[in-house]
Amino acid sequence: MIQLCNVFKSYQRGNSRVNVLHDVSLGIESGEFVAIMGPSGSGKSTLLNILGCLDTADSGDYLFNGESVMMANEDELATIRNRSLGFVFQSFNLIPRIDAKRNVELPMVYAGVNQEVRNNRALAALKIVGLEDRAHHIPAHLSGGQQQRVAIARAIVNDPDIIIADEPTGALDSKSSHEIMKIFQQLQAAGKTIVMVTHENEIAKYAQRIINVDDGKIRTS
Amino acid sequence: MQALSSLRENKLRTVLSVIGITVGIAAVMVVGTVSEGVNKYIYAELDTYGLETIWIYRKWDDENPFRTARKGSGIDNDDLNSMRSCCPSVRRVTPVVYADDDSIQMRSKGKFSNVNLEGVGIHYLEINHDRVTTGRDFRKNDIQRRKPVAIIGTRVSDELFGKHTNPLRRVIRWGDIRLTVIGVLEFESRDILTQLGADDYDVNKRVLIPYTLYQQQFGVKDIHTLQAEAISVDKIEDAARELTDLLSRRHNNHYEYVDESMKGWIETAEDILGNISLVGLIAASISLFVGGLGIMNIMGTSVVERTREIGIRKALGAYRRDILAQFLMEATVVSVVGGVLGMVLGILAGYSIGYLSGYELGISWSTAFIAMIISIMVGIASGYIPAHRASKLKPVDALRYE
Repeated sequence: MIQLCNVFKSYQRGNSRVNVLHDVSLGIESGEFVAIMGPSGSGKSTLLNILGCLDTADSGDYLFNGESVMMANEDELATIRNRSLGFVFQSFNLIPRIDAKRNVELPMVYAGVNQEVRNNRALAALKIVGLEDRAHHIPAHLSGGQQQRVAIARAIVNDPDIIIADEPTGALDSKSSHEIMKIFQQLQAAGKTIVMVTHENEIAKYAQRIINVDDGKIRTS
Repeated sequence: MQALSSLRENKLRTVLSVIGITVGIAAVMVVGTVSEGVNKYIYAELDTYGLETIWIYRKWDDENPFRTARKGSGIDNDDLNSMRSCCPSVRRVTPVVYADDDSIQMRSKGKFSNVNLEGVGIHYLEINHDRVTTGRDFRKNDIQRRKPVAIIGTRVSDELFGKHTNPLRRVIRWGDIRLTVIGVLEFESRDILTQLGADDYDVNKRVLIPYTLYQQQFGVKDIHTLQAEAISVDKIEDAARELTDLLSRRHNNHYEYVDESMKGWIETAEDILGNISLVGLIAASISLFVGGLGIMNIMGTSVVERTREIGIRKALGAYRRDILAQFLMEATVVSVVGGVLGMVLGILAGYSIGYLSGYELGISWSTAFIAMIISIMVGIASGYIPAHRASKLKPVDALRYE
């Protein structure tokens, strides 16, 4: 499903270039639940951003469903993010001034789905995460765990192949964290591929496979 | 929809930029309305002289010293007859004889009025676009028989007879002569031209009598000024040349003549109007420009503030054009709302200025339309740079923004 081959990535920081990823190669199969772990500054977030097509590698190759995305332009990457990927972030990243349902509808707005279908699918997605009765609450009126469940509903509403989760439990208490992980397990059972960055061993246990990143390199454990 | 919700979110900022555009558009509207209104009035006033009118008189300050000594105005009654046949560009002429010195006093039953006395011919009223509100015009008979009849201006009528008396068939005394009023001239406004210094002559204090009577009373045979009407505005120069050529020929080149027409005045008026409009337009453009800067600033802040939101939207699959459209939509809503408010304000201001100044200024819909287009263009142009910057952000950079 995902194939990274000899990927390099560096950033300009002040006067010096910092190598963030150094010759990373990695494969993730369809239906896998993978946790990426590593200390802060190890490059795990950059790796996830590249996997999520939010960032591009300097060199190497990235095959997504067997096709290279290295030469893809902005709009082609946007299409991949819209149709094939779903994002869950540490800080939820809901748009504050619109209610839960309209947040969930956003990926469908950009996919050009009509209003009626959007409505039905948004409500269905909220039902999956157990928030159908909170559809018209704005994010500020929801708890952290509820906000993250809205974000998951938003991530799955366009029925993507892969869910990209960046520290999804980083801002949550342990009860909510476990609820979120249970939803992830259900999604995996339903056939989704999940790639998650975390630094918590507790959370990483929900994954089938752990990839350790340290100093820009992958250390297989 | 997205645009509206974010505008609602930042009410103060939105209101400020709307005000910027509103003031700019209102200024454009006021300038348009005032200059169009003044234009209308000046043309109406110029029309009271008759736009096709030509004045011809002797050039007194002659360069030839021998000719300066010559007496007379260089126009006499015989000239009038020959003009009818040989000036194809001239529709009609009237002699005008008047006193060079101060105005002449007339009285009626113990009341006095200082009037502008003019001896005129039969076409005088038509050439000058004058109308009589009551009574009648001169007839051939009045002129030929030197009848002691007068057509008077409204101010003369008011001063001698009061506002509520019908002056028709009443008698005005001018020295020994008893003039019977046969008509009253319609009131003519030349306020704007008078204010511009174009004319200090009060048209409403005229007393018109047959020129033959005037010549008899003053013992002269000359005609001071010949007033003629060209067959059309663009034939004015031809007509003037035909008349002066004829006069020179008939008087054996003893005199030089000057011809004047409204053309010069029209050009002067248009110059003044052009300047008024230009100054106004510069002021209006400055305020529109400031309004545009306001939008640009507000959109710029909005982009910075919502960098993270842009990142989220991009992560969810928004194309560049979606982001661009969202921000341009905001700018458009602001400028359209500002434009509409500005139009309303401009219309109100136009009416107020009209009311306060006493001039009836019509609303200039063409200006309103142009102002509307300008406001939308300013809004979109000012919104474009920030919107473009927003759309170009890399999702990963935008998401990292705190």
